[in-house]
Parts: sequence; structure tokens; C-alpha cells
Amino acid sequence: MKEYDVVVIGAGFGGPVAAKKCAEAGFRTLMLERSARVGEKVISGLTIPFYGFLFGPAFIRDGNPPIERPVDGIINYIIKDIEAGDIEIDDSLRIPRPLSPILAFGYNAYCRPFCQWEAEKAVESGVELRTSTTVVELLKEDGRVVGVKTDKGEEIRARLVIDGEGSQGLLAVGAGIREKYPPEVISLADVYDYEMAKEDVDEVFGYTLRFCWGWDEQRIAPPLGHGNGLMVWPYRESVHFCQDQCLAMDDGKVPNLRKLFEEYHRNLTSGLPWWREEIAPRARLRARVFENFEIFVGLNERLRAMPNHADGIILIGDAAGLESTELCDGVPAAWFSADIAADVAIEALRAGDVSASFLSRYDQRVRAHPIIQWSITAPHRYNLRFAQEHHSLEELRRYVHDGWGLGGFAFMSSALVKMILQAIREDPMIITSWLRMFPRYYYNWLYERYDYSGGRGEPARDHSREPRVAQAVLRAGFKLMDSALALGAPLVKAAAGLLEPVARFANPAMKVLLPGIEALMRGWKKVEPALAPLSDRMIDFVGRADPAVFAAPRKGGG
Amino acid sequence: MTRTYEEFPGVEWVEGAGQFIRVIEERCSGCANCVKVCLADCYEISGKKARIRDLDRCMECASCWYVCPEDAIAFSWPPGGTGFRTDWG
Repeated sequence: MKEYDVVVIGAGFGGPVAAKKCAEAGFRTLMLERSARVGEKVISGLTIPFYGFLFGPAFIRDGNPPIERPVDGIINYIIKDIEAGDIEIDDSLRIPRPLSPILAFGYNAYCRPFCQWEAEKAVESGVELRTSTTVVELLKEDGRVVGVKTDKGEEIRARLVIDGEGSQGLLAVGAGIREKYPPEVISLADVYDYEMAKEDVDEVFGYTLRFCWGWDEQRIAPPLGHGNGLMVWPYRESVHFCQDQCLAMDDGKVPNLRKLFEEYHRNLTSGLPWWREEIAPRARLRARVFENFEIFVGLNERLRAMPNHADGIILIGDAAGLESTELCDGVPAAWFSADIAADVAIEALRAGDVSASFLSRYDQRVRAHPIIQWSITAPHRYNLRFAQEHHSLEELRRYVHDGWGLGGFAFMSSALVKMILQAIREDPMIITSWLRMFPRYYYNWLYERYDYSGGRGEPARDHSREPRVAQAVLRAGFKLMDSALALGAPLVKAAAGLLEPVARFANPAMKVLLPGIEALMRGWKKVEPALAPLSDRMIDFVGRADPAVFAAPRKGGG
Repeated sequence: MTRTYEEFPGVEWVEGAGQFIRVIEERCSGCANCVKVCLADCYEISGKKARIRDLDRCMECASCWYVCPEDAIAFSWPPGGTGFRTDWG
């Protein structure tokens, strides 16, 4: 029987993060993945918000992961009457030009290349990766998990198992670690992938996501709160259309999803003028895939209290129910929880104690993580159920604005500020890592093209017109900032520590300030066209610059 | 061998998956929840019981497993490397 220090189940978004860190700490680590090629069974992902990259694993932040388009915000369409074309728009949540799209709100990515990139980094760090291998059972001795059994009948022993098997949690449920989640909290996502010429995506979408919200009787989207409205994501040369709905309603009734999804898709694509006239003539259906995820687990106290660890095992990401209820995005939570799990695993292995009592540190840190807790417990998606019940347009406007408009900052700012201060307290140099990340990712988007047949093209760049003077100034500026931060590190750390309690006032402050900020944003949008040349110059600079200018100064980048 | 289906472009199914979903007949109440949620049309009701019609287009979402009130569906992942695969998720 083979023996490892750590066995990680699943090479999705979280698995490679945990595996890499354990291997780097010197532990013999095996990652098992059931698909033949990493990522080909992961079908969600879509937009990964900026905070995942800022506060997530260092190798992703400082690396060069595959992204398909930066995102500068969300346009919410509240469809009052689809036949009459009566649609209200809330486009308050957008990063203004000239900062957009280089300073992005998030990044769209296909899961397969992204997970594959993460797995490659893990393997480079010494992780042993085995694909086409399904874990069918957790091995237990005296109630403690001591390894796994694969579909080939092989038994593999591990001092600690990190379970990133995904939302169904078959192994965790099978081993009695947690219960199966009820269908009311699980949403099934039905995703259509359309090919579209890049120029058309640029013209129709630019860098902005489109969300559509409507009433049940319009038959264009799931009942509010029991799924999303409709979400449309622009990629490099394609567009994703996603509709999703919970598997059961509040009364336990299971809707006929097969019939409803067909109906929603047909009604929306034929009824919405924007889709019918702008998208349909230019788009060609390339793929249709579906998968479910645990969207409301965080809002249910009983489900939230289900164990995320046991003797010898830690559950991460979707397997631990850490899907973002708020933004329908599980990637940041998968990264954060995998990072925490690896830290605790390393401590446990060094202490020679993998008992549930020792591993409870994991649970404590997950519960103390401001972004995880905000994203899984924020109630705006659930509030849409009340808007549906009351059929109140005013409520719908408010909840959409508070969840997916600028109003969201009145609820997420405390978590963001707390994370920023905690990260700076840990390492003040992270500030320049953040500053370098945005232009590097934008440069990547401009030049890196991902060949989905498995290969990857080399960036084609014209070196002849590099803005050498501006680059030198920027390079010197970054170095100066690095030196100042290194010199002032104790002071910066102390200041961040002192300010941390202040973070809790960020939400109330934003509630007061938002009306003013929104008025300013409206004014700014009028000025934006005049700033277009400045935006173009910034984009041109990033596009022509030597990417080394934006490279992270520390080791570990990709 | 790899299979494709017109209604799910961009997805391939690699054979060899076997019977990774099973209906436990004595538990099944014939409520048809599994039929309602399966986008791949894997189930049918016959003799007031759910039966697997065809697992060929299953994307392994396990929605059937979630919605079965009687725990009559035994779901397990197909053996490694088999089942569905896509580049477009």
C-alpha cells in the first residue's frame, strides 16, 4: 500500500492550491483527479472577482493565469415587460474609465485551462498528480480517515486527506462527515457557450457582464431568489449564457427543470430585443453544459454548522459548502479555504496530530475569514424571494442594487477593508504585488491566447515601439515603493493593525457616502468620453511595455 | 470510444462509465422528481417506478440524487477518465 503525507482529492480550483502548499512545505503530496485531463469536468467558474486574486494564493496573484477577458462591472437589466421592451437599467457597478479595463472588477476564464494551469504549478512544486483516477471511498481506522480507495481498487494511505471533491460531497457524505444538502439550497446551472467574433464581443459587451431579472409570469428566468435571473458573460471570442434554478422550491416541490429551462431560454433569446437583434445574428452555439452548486448553504444555520473536517480529513471549497451565495461564485472561497486547509495541514503534520480537535483550527479560520463569511452569508440573493413574493418593483430594484450594483459596497466594504489591512499587516510588500497584478493580467489578456485543444500559443509582441522612458519611470517607481515599504514595514504593519478595528465602520460609512459617490459616478460618466484618449494611452502603454515591468519581484510567479 | 449528441454540442462522452447511477426499486415511490430535474433525459417512469432510460448523456450533476425524497438513487462517479468531458465550462 502506497503512503503519502497528504492526499488531495480533486484538481479543481481549490485542490491544486492546497496540494502545492503542502508539497512546498516538504510533505509528500498526491493529488487525485477523476477526469483524464484536469478541468474537463468543471463547468462553472465564469467570472472570478478581483478579491479572489488579491487575497487568494500568492502563486496565482503573482503569476500569469489564463484569463479570457477582464471585467469592469455589471449591467443589470430589470425586465418589466419583455414584449413591450420595457427594461430598466442599473449600471452603477462599473469601474470608470480611464481606470477600466486595466483595473478590473474581475476576470472571466474557462475552467479547464485555469484548473490545468493551477495543477501545472502544483506539479512543478513537487505534487504527484494522478488523473483518470476516481476516489470511491475514504479509508477509515478507529473512526479516523487514514487514506482513500480508488476505482482501480488501490488503497492509498495518507496522514491527512484534503477533500476538494466538489459540491455533491459523495465521499464526505458517504463517510458520515457531513449530511447531504437538501435540494432547496442546490441550484442547477444550465450554461450555453456561444462563439462570437472578438470585434462583435467588444462592440456588444465591451468588458461588462449583463444580468437580467424578471418576474415569474414572464417565463424568461427562474423565480427570483430560487436561482439567478439570466447572466451573460463575455469572453475573448465567445459569450456564456447561464440560467440556473434551485432543485426545489421553499415548499419542497421540485419544478420541471427540463421544461422550464427550455422555455426560459427560448423566450429570452427570442423576446429580448438586445439578444434577438444584437447577439443572435452574430453568435453560434458551441457547447451546452450543466452542473449544480450549493447556492444557499451559507444562509442556513443548520447546514452552515455541518462539519468541514473530521479526524484525518479537511473539506475545502464546494465540498465544504463554501459557494458564494451572494455572487454565485465558488472560486475565491475554494482558493481561500484551500490555502487555510494547507496551513492547518502543515501545522498538524508537524505536530503529529491530525485529530478533529487539532483540525478545528481550520473551521475557526474559515469562520474568521471576512470574505468567505460575507460571500456565503450575504442575503441579497435570498431577498429577491421577498421581492418575488411581494411582486414589488421597488424591492427588486433595491435588492438588485444592493447585491449586484454599487449598493453592494454598503455590505461588503467592511470585509474588504479588513482583508486589505490583514494582508498588509502580514506583508506590507503585498501592496506593490497588487499594483503590478492588474497591468500584468491585462497584458496577458492582450497577448496570451489559449488553445483549447491543449496547446498554448506564444505571445506575439512587437518590441520595436516599447515606451522605454515611461517603463523606466514605472519600474523605478515600483522599486522606490518596494524600498519604502521594506524600510517602513514595522510602521506600516503597526498602522494596519491599529486600523483593523476601524474596518467594521466601512459598511456604515459606505451607507452614508454612497448617495454622494453615486452622484459623482453619474457625473464622471459624462466626463468619460473626454477621457477616452487617456484610456487609450494607458492601454497602449500596457500593450507595448515589457511585461517584466509588471512581474512580481518575488519568487513563485508563473 | 467517444460519443457526441446534437442537443449538447461541445461535450464528449467517453464510454466505459458503466452503471454509475442505480435506482433502488424497493425505495422508489415513483414521484418522478428525477425525471423533472434531469436535463439529459436519463430517467423514465415505468410501472410507477423510476427507471434508468439511458445514461449516455449524463453530465454527472447528481441532481437526481439530491431531489430523491426516498434516497432511492445510488449515485457514484463513473470510473476515472470516463463519462462526460468538455473544454467549454
